[in-house]
Amino acid sequence: MIRKMFTLFLCLFVAQLGFAQNEKRAVSGYIRDAANGESLIGVSVYVRELATGTVTNDYGFYALSLPQGSYTLVLTYLGYEKTEKSVVVGNTDQTLNVEVKDQTQKLKEVVITTKKEDENVRSVEMSVNKVEMKTIRKMPALLGEVDLVRSIQLLPGVTTVGEGASGFNVRGGNIDQNLILLDEAPVYNSSHLFGFFSVFNPDAVKDVKLIKGGIPAQYGGRISSILDVRLKEGNSKKTEINGGIGTIFSRFSYERPFAKDKGSFIVAARRSYIDVLAKPFLRGDLKGSRFNFYDLTAKANYRINDKNTVFVSGYFGRDVFGADFGFEWGNGTATARWNHVFNSKLFMNVTTYYSSYTYALESDRNNKRTSGDKFIWNSSIKNWSVKPDFSYYLTPNNLVTFGGQYINYDSQPGAATATSRGESRNISLEPRFADESALYVANDQKLSERFSLQYGLRYSYFRSLAPGETYDFKEITKGERQIPLFPAQKYTDGVINTYGNWEPRFSAKYEFSSRASVKMSYNRMVQYLHLLSNTAASSPLDVWTLSSRAIKPQIADQVALGYFQNFKDNAYEASVEVYYKKLQNQIDFVRNSDLLLNRFIEGDLLFGGGRAYGAEFYVKKNKGNLTGWLSYTLARTERQIDGINNNQWFPSRFDKTHNLSAVALYQLTDRWSFSANFAFSSGTPATFPTNRYEINGWAIKNNFEDARNNLRIPAYHRLDFGATYKPNRKLFKRGQGEYVFSVYNVYNRRNPFSVFMRENPETPLTTEAVRFSVIGSVVPAVTYNFKF
Amino acid sequence: MTTLFVQFIRYTFILAIAATLFSCEDVVQIDVTPGPTQLVVDGWLTNEPGPQRIKLTNSAAYFDNSPAKPVLGATVTVGDEKGRIFSFKDLKNDGVYVWTPASARDTLARLGVRYGLQIKTGSEEYVAQTQFNRVPKIDSITYFPEKPPVAPTKGPREGFRAEFWSRDPTGAGDCYWIKTYKNNKYFGRTENISVAYDGAFSQGAASDGLIFILPIRRSINPELWAEKDTIRVELHAVPLEAYYFLQQVQQEGGNQGLFATPPANILTNIANRDAKGRKPLGFFGAASVSTFTTIIDPKKAKPKE
Repeated sequence: MIRKMFTLFLCLFVAQLGFAQNEKRAVSGYIRDAANGESLIGVSVYVRELATGTVTNDYGFYALSLPQGSYTLVLTYLGYEKTEKSVVVGNTDQTLNVEVKDQTQKLKEVVITTKKEDENVRSVEMSVNKVEMKTIRKMPALLGEVDLVRSIQLLPGVTTVGEGASGFNVRGGNIDQNLILLDEAPVYNSSHLFGFFSVFNPDAVKDVKLIKGGIPAQYGGRISSILDVRLKEGNSKKTEINGGIGTIFSRFSYERPFAKDKGSFIVAARRSYIDVLAKPFLRGDLKGSRFNFYDLTAKANYRINDKNTVFVSGYFGRDVFGADFGFEWGNGTATARWNHVFNSKLFMNVTTYYSSYTYALESDRNNKRTSGDKFIWNSSIKNWSVKPDFSYYLTPNNLVTFGGQYINYDSQPGAATATSRGESRNISLEPRFADESALYVANDQKLSERFSLQYGLRYSYFRSLAPGETYDFKEITKGERQIPLFPAQKYTDGVINTYGNWEPRFSAKYEFSSRASVKMSYNRMVQYLHLLSNTAASSPLDVWTLSSRAIKPQIADQVALGYFQNFKDNAYEASVEVYYKKLQNQIDFVRNSDLLLNRFIEGDLLFGGGRAYGAEFYVKKNKGNLTGWLSYTLARTERQIDGINNNQWFPSRFDKTHNLSAVALYQLTDRWSFSANFAFSSGTPATFPTNRYEINGWAIKNNFEDARNNLRIPAYHRLDFGATYKPNRKLFKRGQGEYVFSVYNVYNRRNPFSVFMRENPETPLTTEAVRFSVIGSVVPAVTYNFKF
Repeated sequence: MTTLFVQFIRYTFILAIAATLFSCEDVVQIDVTPGPTQLVVDGWLTNEPGPQRIKLTNSAAYFDNSPAKPVLGATVTVGDEKGRIFSFKDLKNDGVYVWTPASARDTLARLGVRYGLQIKTGSEEYVAQTQFNRVPKIDSITYFPEKPPVAPTKGPREGFRAEFWSRDPTGAGDCYWIKTYKNNKYFGRTENISVAYDGAFSQGAASDGLIFILPIRRSINPELWAEKDTIRVELHAVPLEAYYFLQQVQQEGGNQGLFATPPANILTNIANRDAKGRKPLGFFGAASVSTFTTIIDPKKAKPKE
């Protein structure tokens, strides 16, 4: 099947090449923001005379092939002024770098005169949501902390287990099925303080893109979505300082050009400061309390010449808790990239990155205890990768992308030492090693003005590497813990086992008019790394586990179909998409599973299939004083695991039938702007006992059917307000300042995170149902932001 | 291992939430359709001299807070591998079936011998098996003065924290249930359940032969102790299956909040002879017990480390 499809595309492709004209010359370059020199992703570059065009890639680069002659390039980008550039194409290829101006610098000209921002209709890309950082900054936020992950939870097809839960769920996928990229390096845990705040500093982020379907061949490694977060490069025109004093974090960022404007950098830091404020009030054992979270984000770029640019960027974040004992966790990433323009047709980016997630617990951090009782535990996953990507602007109608990736994994699921009265036992698990390689090739092909295709193929190959040991397991009862068979098979060198997978990707678009199009896509995604988490919200202690002989790679096949239409001169964009996803090798757990420091953990895992389907409705208003969006998703996500729910299908923990969200931003005057969010979603499934029985004076819960997720908790809904005020009098006498006011959960609803059953804490043998709300009150907050 | 870390997480999470204080819990009304009643076996034999009891009841609807209905008129027999038969009688007609030894100092327990339970009620027959395992002695109980920075939710604000001392015997696979009594009152809530595997928390901990690790030694403090309080600690050596059963009861009892796991039915080691018949609930276990008792005397308290 795959081979047939591939041959077909090859034929289409070669047929087109035949028509390619030889006398064409290339025009290429970077498009940047005039105010700060940031390269811009996704700018539409339109050749008026030929009624054709392209968009800038992830690095702000574009390339066009044009016959000799004079042309006008029209550059349009949402929120920026329309810019026109004349270009004369002669005998040689040429470079044309252009800077475009941000509209908000001239507020009076908000009435847009640009050509159509109809990328959503005309691009072959579907199931993609972009939220501008400008928008995210204006949305009302919990405790006033601008939060990227919470904002994307308001997009169609995106849900969460509940308030305070880490991560997000895309089209019925688990949180570990999202590839969260920070400048191309994967981020393993996207949250601070369990799940309340995300790790991305809004002052350092340039662009956010969520890809839920039709995932291009260049991406792989997770089966549900790609959250592609790109950092700012730093102002290359002048020194800029941004900062803020919020309820939770204080933020500071510094950016400036260097080397005669050939380079620029940004350094941004955030830290929670509740511990600093609380310090004078802590007594006794709490005096040494540590309770904070922080992150540092930095990026620098240097333009060696028109053909070569290098970037380095990094992130380091930690959550630190403890007094006598210590508990800390966090991510670190480092990325180096080189953009090279071979010629006007061939663009290359090479990325190398290092990424890690670690946590550590220590029972006696200060070594105060002289008796020799101690417990130390560390866990980590580290990986490094090399990833070359090429864009070949073959003909005006074919953009070929190809490249590959090599990832090396080094994981320590748990290294621990328990000491009792001076006697130590090393209870560490074996470290695990693996690597993952991939090669891909894809083509974006315009068959006609109306009909475009994007097709590609990725091959991924995973190897578990020695040293290591594996166990076989014996099943006693289906769904119950399996018993390890001794001895283990030990491997001292070589490869323990391998998996290889073809991952075809395909998208097609047909335009009925410049205002309306229909698109479809299919993709297969494969995932070799799994977060083993059996809790409602993922905890920082959950371990990212590599595929092994027992843990097969997760596979998802998704088809999506969408209709896209814009109204009123593209002031409104609307879309309807339906999708169906089939999931293989989904992981679940036996009852009373032990997922930490358990060398026989594979005996506690259950495997099965999954399916997710739904319809997403989305309307977005881009222009005018009132902007925002309305999104509604009707969806289902289910699993079938032998040994759970009597082997029948059951809805997953984050299945929400209805999910509605509305975001509105209103610019009243230059000084005042307002915003509101509303979210409604069906209650999540829960497992409730039907019966009780008494043992030893305990009232024990029992579900007669042995069902999973047999009932639902009440629905969730919430309204938030925000307002931004830019006063004339600034707090720091210079630059610009603004106050951001927010009220979260305006009408004070006690939304359930869960409903659970328990024995009353005071009266044994009295059973009752309890609603647990993570945020059960109105949460007002004020933040002050400044910019010099 | 999980238990310790759930505690760690809870503590840090309480700290974190204390900063925000927005979470809350309310008792609510929920409708669930109850399933049919099932036979419940609550049978724990010990090697201590004196009568042994096995309680038979019926399961009830989850929100039915009336006392469990006893199962009357059943024939309850325990037999061991050596061919000895012990007959249990419902003396008070309340569903509690009792074996009374000939002499008050007799016990039915023999170390390492398997015991079978047979229950006949109506036309149904239920069976189960268990075994008595070795138990180390408790060497001592020590205590030190304590005033926690955050006032405890139960018991005195200030007092003593106690620790029991015992060493797990060499040889992997010893499982324990630690029970604590204050002035003869048993701390019997699910959150008070303390279990150990080879002196630590779990099978994977490779803790064979250790002195019980600190969090287990100190798991006997549901609340602080006051002067003149009598502490009694019982160390019950239980079979592996009982360890899993108790661990699950404890986990499900407090299974709530952000890090709750999907609620699961608790395992049972009772079986209906007719595989297609009504499924029973409950547990039949055996425990070898060692006990240590002490009275809090501030003069004998150790200094706090």
